[in-house]
Amino acid sequence: MIKRLPLLLLPLVALLANPAGALALNINEDYKPQNEFKLDTWIDLPGPFDLNKAVFYVFVATLLTTLAMVLVARRMTQRPNRIQTAVEAAYTLMRDNIAGGNMDRRMAAKWFPFIATLFLFIWFSNMLGYLPLPTNTEHKVDIAGLQIPSLALYAATANLSVPLVLTLVVWFAYHIEGFRAKGVIGFYKGLVPAGVEGPAAGPIFAIELISDFVRVVSLSVRLFANILAGHLLILFMGGGLVVLLNLAVAGSVVLGLVTGTMAVAFFLFEIGLVATLQAFIFSTLTAIYLGGAVADEH
Amino acid sequence: MDLSVITHLAQSQVTTEIAGEYGRKAGKAIALGIGAGLGTIGPGVGVGYIFGKVIESVTRQPEMRDEITSIQWLGFALTEAIVFYAFIFGLIAFFLG
Repeated sequence: MIKRLPLLLLPLVALLANPAGALALNINEDYKPQNEFKLDTWIDLPGPFDLNKAVFYVFVATLLTTLAMVLVARRMTQRPNRIQTAVEAAYTLMRDNIAGGNMDRRMAAKWFPFIATLFLFIWFSNMLGYLPLPTNTEHKVDIAGLQIPSLALYAATANLSVPLVLTLVVWFAYHIEGFRAKGVIGFYKGLVPAGVEGPAAGPIFAIELISDFVRVVSLSVRLFANILAGHLLILFMGGGLVVLLNLAVAGSVVLGLVTGTMAVAFFLFEIGLVATLQAFIFSTLTAIYLGGAVADEH
Repeated sequence: MDLSVITHLAQSQVTTEIAGEYGRKAGKAIALGIGAGLGTIGPGVGVGYIFGKVIESVTRQPEMRDEITSIQWLGFALTEAIVFYAFIFGLIAFFLG
């Protein structure tokens, strides 16, 4: 390694010796990073039901959510293996921390399946997003005469539509629960925190009503933006920036070494923390909203 | 440089169009950079504050560690997401504006 170090430093020396040549900026206009998230129609169906990359990811995540859990549940043993231990830990987390910790006993029992499904679906979609799958139909690779789409990173949750639909389901669910528990007027009265009385109640009610609607935006955009930003970071660090800036060879090598290292770090950060954390946050907030809608004291 | 250059530039139609196009692109790029960059300041302070408080709380009451950890990640994710609000709206303006 020590002997090879000068070889690795060669581009840096070239860059320092001739910075103008290595750094001559010549932006690559042909490269369009946004096409990485473009949805080409794969199978044309009537109406807005075309099959494309995002639909494919949604289907795979759905299949994984159901099949993985059903398979593990079928093969339960007295002495659990690794997968069963992991699933049991996730089950305890969902039941006790996410659902049980934020709702009363009756509501937790009623809504646990919904919240657990949300958690697992988002988790599987997020994790699927970091697995390179042959879904890039824009650039095809010729393997033995077959036109195979090149590998690409994409996640269903990196498209605003998926988190938005999940959020709308949650939003309507907690409103309906609240209406059933307290009545429509009681629910909206409950938006004003306890202890606020007199003329202050009017403005506070307006603010709380707005924040009730803003929850649709914040809940969906939080998930979408986290996953999209993670994918963009990995895209740009893992080569996109080098292609886009189109520097001379020495500049490209130095930039590539720096950004490539960062790409690995961001990839590990996304897999290790963000993917699970966002699924956890989404389901925890769902539980908090559902619990808050029926609670007596707001 | 005398001011006749400005009149000369204004008179040549092609140059103005090219300059306008580059100016638009440059403006969008600068806006994305400044917007996303400024958007990271607040959440940066917030995330630092959360972890600082977590360290403080755990050193004071080590027996509360498990409970604090779960709240810590909730607070972290809620704060961190604000960076991405700025970033995503910047991107929307950049690509769709």
